[in-house]
Amino acid sequence: MLATIVVEDSKCPDPLACRKCLLVCPTRVLGLGTDVGPQKYREIDPEHFIVRGVREQFCTVCMKCVEVCPNGAIQVTVEGGVPA
Amino acid sequence: MCVWCERYGEGHERWYLNPANYARRLYKVRKDEPEAAGAEGNPQAAGGMASMGRAFLEARERGDLETVERMRKQAHDIAWGIHFGQVITQEELEQILDIIYPIGLMTCACRRSMRGLPDEENFTCMGMGPGMYKWERWPDTYRGGVHFLTPDEAKQVLNTLRSRGLVHTLFTFGTPYLAGLCNCDYPDCAAIRTAVDVDVKVLWKGHYIAEVDPDLCNGCGLCVRRCQFKALSFSPSTLKANIDPLQCYGCSLCRDVCKPDAIRLVDRATLPALAEIW
Repeated sequence: MLATIVVEDSKCPDPLACRKCLLVCPTRVLGLGTDVGPQKYREIDPEHFIVRGVREQFCTVCMKCVEVCPNGAIQVTVEGGVPA
Repeated sequence: MCVWCERYGEGHERWYLNPANYARRLYKVRKDEPEAAGAEGNPQAAGGMASMGRAFLEARERGDLETVERMRKQAHDIAWGIHFGQVITQEELEQILDIIYPIGLMTCACRRSMRGLPDEENFTCMGMGPGMYKWERWPDTYRGGVHFLTPDEAKQVLNTLRSRGLVHTLFTFGTPYLAGLCNCDYPDCAAIRTAVDVDVKVLWKGHYIAEVDPDLCNGCGLCVRRCQFKALSFSPSTLKANIDPLQCYGCSLCRDVCKPDAIRLVDRATLPALAEIW
């Protein structure tokens, strides 16, 4: 069963500096990228960096990324819900 | 026969030993890449890394083999035309260091994407060829800057990375032009992950396969943790190392740590059933 991972970008201002979710994920499900692609002659501002779920087949729904996020930006859901 | 050697070898033993394949400007290909448009926020596209999207994972999940195969073929067509890699051995690396110039040590885009690794901890990648002179045009691709190295310095750095357990790979930027010399591991290399996890060949196996001589193997097990491809295991039945030839990428990292010299490389082409298993 594939988990669905949603990141609210407005609550995640500088993921490259924070990177807590990237480090805590035991299977490297999450990926860091930008929403603008490669930019010639300029550096990309921190707010354009984003985190997404990209290898969901390895998500165990352990919720570590949800717990570690200081801003509550990550939601992980799975069909049928998560056991309490 | 390796199709790339056949097409681009021009008489050289391997396609990546043909100096012509290192001669093009590095970034010419970028213009044609659809991902450069950056229409939708997407870490794979942003990092320029070939990987598979949610639709592929869902098709796999529901057992829709026809869709999986169609998407796999699409991914192969794109990757093999633009950006894919192949594993090389230490001996081949040394031959290549005599061909390429300049050599720029740079930060790894995969580890940045996977772990958000800070630049100062992330100098494990090398760019090569004249395109490197223009690195300053792409400040984010080259976060942390570039250190230009002489071939001897590059050899030292690569030996250090290798002793850490990283696999040498070559990557095209507009096939057949080789411009990336990466040092990869599982699970932080996007190419190894894509190849091993979902069998999409953005990274090709190398031309060799490692074999263990059971008479020489002393069962120390040091080689097992060097394998980044899930090909090596320790057999509790025989108390020897075991290499799965179908999984082996021929990087030769296991051989580096074998004290009794029980691991040797054999040419893939000498094993008819494996000759076309890349």
